[in-house]
Amino acid sequence: MLRLIGRRLLLMVPTLILASILIFALAEVLPGDVGRSILGPYATQEQVELLNERLGADRPIYVRYAAWAGGFVTGDWGDSLLLKVPVFPTVMKALGNSLVLAGFALVLIVPTSVLLGVFSGLRRDSALDRTITVSTLSMTVIPEFVSGVVLLYVFAVWLKWLPVTAMPPDGSPFVSRFYYLILPAIPLMFLELGYIARMARVGTAQVLAMPYIRTAVLKGLPRRRVIFGHVLRNAMVPTVTVIGSQVGWLIGGLVVIETLFVYPGIGKLMVDAAQTHDLPMLEAAVLMVAILYMLSNLMADIVVALLNPRIRAGG
Amino acid sequence: MDERNGSLGSDPDLQAEGSQLSSDPEMLELRAEAAAGHEGQEIQADAAAALEQKRQRRYLVKALLRSPTFMVGMVIVVFWIIMGAFSVYFTQSPTAQDALSSLQGPSASHWFGTDDLGRDVFARTMAGARTVLIIAPLATVLALVWGGIIGLVAGFWRGLTDEIIMRLVDVLLALPIIITSILILSLLGKGTAIIIVTIGALFTPVVSRTIRSAVIGEREREYVMAARLRGERSAFVMTREILPNITQPIIVEGTIRLGYAVFTAATLSFLGFGLVPPSSDWGLTIATQRVFLQIAPWTVLFPALALASLVVGVNLITDGLGRVFSK
Repeated sequence: MLRLIGRRLLLMVPTLILASILIFALAEVLPGDVGRSILGPYATQEQVELLNERLGADRPIYVRYAAWAGGFVTGDWGDSLLLKVPVFPTVMKALGNSLVLAGFALVLIVPTSVLLGVFSGLRRDSALDRTITVSTLSMTVIPEFVSGVVLLYVFAVWLKWLPVTAMPPDGSPFVSRFYYLILPAIPLMFLELGYIARMARVGTAQVLAMPYIRTAVLKGLPRRRVIFGHVLRNAMVPTVTVIGSQVGWLIGGLVVIETLFVYPGIGKLMVDAAQTHDLPMLEAAVLMVAILYMLSNLMADIVVALLNPRIRAGG
Repeated sequence: MDERNGSLGSDPDLQAEGSQLSSDPEMLELRAEAAAGHEGQEIQADAAAALEQKRQRRYLVKALLRSPTFMVGMVIVVFWIIMGAFSVYFTQSPTAQDALSSLQGPSASHWFGTDDLGRDVFARTMAGARTVLIIAPLATVLALVWGGIIGLVAGFWRGLTDEIIMRLVDVLLALPIIITSILILSLLGKGTAIIIVTIGALFTPVVSRTIRSAVIGEREREYVMAARLRGERSAFVMTREILPNITQPIIVEGTIRLGYAVFTAATLSFLGFGLVPPSSDWGLTIATQRVFLQIAPWTVLFPALALASLVVGVNLITDGLGRVFSK
């Protein structure tokens, strides 16, 4: 098991280096002139050259990449061009906010979708099954900002059950944050619901067809114990796998939801940095997200391996 | 339509031929022995195969017309195509401002109310279909063409080429698509053409992966062997022999990507990386009118529902196609 994790971590290194080159190339090589892309078309040539010199953008490209990548590894992420603050703490603070939101959303996603999936798997091809499948899939394909504004209207504006903002006023206890995060978390949940519920449904149906379930039923085990002891446990494997593969969508969803709810997370930070051409901030945030994305994929693989004895032994 | 006529006309011939052959087993054996490469035999086999294909295609069209999922999706999407193309000719102007009647609720003169600049929300909602229905299909076509070429080459040649291409694909997929597109669009600027190319390019790796695996499934088949033994060039084998045989996975992949393209295009314009005002694009409208959600919800809700219906419509088509094809 440890060897499996070690090998996967080692495999991440080349992918990560390539991804960092890609990010760097997209941000600094593609636009040609870094100073020009920051200052825009109305700046004079002297201003552009001055900025390039200050940023070190007049050096050869590989020197700049080495300096940037080296700085990233050692925690020296430079200063934001726009806000004049160090990038590292800003990104970390935003990341923390995003993790609170994403974690809360995941806490909602897993039981809801597994429950829905198992329900429809147990009553396959019934009206309930069809209703659950169609409605969860529709929720998944609709963009999160669309479901977000509709929910915002219904629950915050019309019914007034939940707050319109995503952050409690300063000085509120930490727990009250979750009350404010209910509305932003639901569209994130919708985003994943369709796939995960579908997986849980397929998993349930497969397990139900297994001989050992028939044995369990025939030896007189109560239905509830069959479902909780056998079906639920084994239907979890494909479900967990798909949760891991959906992290990319969750990150994309965070970008959109944080923008919609004006929530100070890393998604909002990236959008703002991109719109203001704040390159140091943008590059650091994107690379950080890439690392987290790969790590969470790895974590999903590990959880699957732990759940599946065949992979666990083979690792 | 002519497709149907053609195969209907030739059906009896095929049946007659089939019965004649089967009624005479000796003759059949003799023929089979009389060399596989026999000209007439090959042409007959080709014709039979072509007929079989036509019959199958006709069956698919019928099955699609009978699939409620597919038809409901089609009705929704066609409705929005018509609105996107022609609504400006029969609604009020989607851009005409009227400061005196801003943020008014739905009424007889403005069915969906007016927005902050006094523009008619009904006209803007109907016309809003246009941008997304231009961007998404074109981006999908680009992704299919590029991904198709890459997938064909990687799957057909295998070896080192395949290895390199697939590693590159892995790296491109190491970042969530929405992040990469924000990165690209923030640097390249705004505009319809740039969005189309960006979405097309970012969907290319996924498409190439699908097409590659479809090609790998075909390349060991006899007809590919035969073509290579005939000494056909690789490009010919790829485009004329393999490509026609993987149209179904390509169509399914195309409709799946179309759904994602609508999603991505709308999201990008919501985030402010797509179009600029006064475009009546749904994503952009939701982003700019969101501040009025509490006092004038109609400015946001109607474009939101419109976008939701289009996305669901495209996905119903995908679902219907996938089900009919997998039968």
